[in-house]
Amino acid sequence: MNHLDGVRAIYIKEMLGYFRSPIAYFVIAVFLLGTGYFFTYNIFLTGIGTMDSTLQNMGILLLIISPVLTMRLFSAEYNARTMELLMTLPLQTWQVVLGKYLGAVSIFLLMTAATWINLVPLYLFGTPQTLNIIAGYLGFILLGMTCIAIGQFFSALTENQIVAALITIPVLLGFWFVGHLQSLQSSLLLRDLVAHLSFALHFADFIRGLLRSEGIAFFFAVIACALTLNTGYLQLRR
Amino acid sequence: MIVLDQVSKSYGSKAIIHGISFDVKQGEIVGFLGPNGAGKTTVMRMIAGFTEASTGKVSVCGFDMATQRDQAAPNIGYLPESPPLYDVLDVTTYLRFVARAKHVPANKIAEQLDRVIQACHLEAVTQKECYKLSKGYRQRVGLAQALLGEPEVLLLDEPTAGLDPGQIQETREVIRNFGSKHAVLISTHILPEVTLICQRVAIINGGRLLAVDSPSGLQQRAEQSNSVLLDATGDQNSIEQSLRGVDGVSGLSVRPHPVRHGVVSIECLVQDMDGIESRIARAVMAAGELYRLERRQPTLENVFLGYVGHAGGAVVTDLQQEAA
Repeated sequence: MNHLDGVRAIYIKEMLGYFRSPIAYFVIAVFLLGTGYFFTYNIFLTGIGTMDSTLQNMGILLLIISPVLTMRLFSAEYNARTMELLMTLPLQTWQVVLGKYLGAVSIFLLMTAATWINLVPLYLFGTPQTLNIIAGYLGFILLGMTCIAIGQFFSALTENQIVAALITIPVLLGFWFVGHLQSLQSSLLLRDLVAHLSFALHFADFIRGLLRSEGIAFFFAVIACALTLNTGYLQLRR
Repeated sequence: MIVLDQVSKSYGSKAIIHGISFDVKQGEIVGFLGPNGAGKTTVMRMIAGFTEASTGKVSVCGFDMATQRDQAAPNIGYLPESPPLYDVLDVTTYLRFVARAKHVPANKIAEQLDRVIQACHLEAVTQKECYKLSKGYRQRVGLAQALLGEPEVLLLDEPTAGLDPGQIQETREVIRNFGSKHAVLISTHILPEVTLICQRVAIINGGRLLAVDSPSGLQQRAEQSNSVLLDATGDQNSIEQSLRGVDGVSGLSVRPHPVRHGVVSIECLVQDMDGIESRIARAVMAAGELYRLERRQPTLENVFLGYVGHAGGAVVTDLQQEAA
């Protein structure tokens, strides 16, 4: 028996669930509308031919949109009493957590790919720096994967989807804006700490075209922590 | 196949289940009876692996659910109290998901789907989304998912709730067929269901196991504390006095007959049934006139109510308590 079979079963169920309900369409539509607005504003109204500002705006938009995608992941299972099925099927808890996570990440990647349409006019009418765009998108994908892992964990804590979203949004905003506390800290250690925890500062490096291992490790560490906490919490519920 | 050994469950300091022990063998259907809040669902969940016992041991097919849940889980088919359906998925897609999650080989999924769809009579709704299904169909889809993967043990929490009489009969047939080779534990409120399909009954109340026996065994046990009903005329006090003197009568309930004026209806709780009717009849006729006398046959319902502590109607004076 392959361990990935269980992950695959959950993943397929999740993907079917997304596309047979309005959630995925709604989230993708709102995200693309927002991204389109920011792109139009940044490129055509300010006349700056890069994706830097648009990616920055997309990052903030993601902090609000991703909880809408993740709020139902476990909360809906509790509400529909399907958690009892998931936890009694011959699946390990981590398989359920990973299957759901990969499903949400797939939707996120799909909506990220849809924003590449913006690159067409950029390349037609400007001379953008391709490496910066690739690094920026890589950072955006890591940021999105991190937001989803955090949102999924909070979704496991409550049966109420709205509560799950309302907890996730301030936490994500906190991780985004924590970098601003740098200037308020006299201690070098604390300044370093808030800089390390800041989504915005790490993401800014990617947008500038800097692929720093520190930033990549940070995002993967947060993802691993959130998914481990998620699995641990579900096991504790037994 | 299912063994519970001194199983207890507590949430914080509150104990829900107190030291329950019983087993379900292969080829046996056991009914799990108890009023609402008795702890039936908690016990079912512990056997299914949804929650863990605080103390004691739950084993399924020889695997300890606390340490070997992964080995035990493929052997368990579980229908929770509320059918666990994904509303946006159609019935076939839902069942295919469960089959995949139960690690049914890809080349056998279609065959197993056909089998459970046929067994649960779901042919008419295979393409319907679950949210469009009636309560009866939801219950049957829930049962179908439990049957997938050919489990050795079937745990059914209220399997016939919400079904019409025809569907109930079909579902019982499915359970009976399955139970002839495997182990089945059914939690239910429907007492005739237990008599019809279960070889043994476990009665639970307040988280404690009160009795485990065959339905007929429980009825036989209850006969020892059965009752005799009679209608009589005459001086009520004299009749009561006379009845209290009868050896084997342990309690009396006296009330006016609901229709006939001047007639009293008396229920005598009796310990020993040998010749008790004639002794009671003689006692009544010594003090008044006897209109009717019948022995109340114990039903499973009486047995159940007796165990879970309901008076079942009339207030009965317990002579032994009075004497004490």
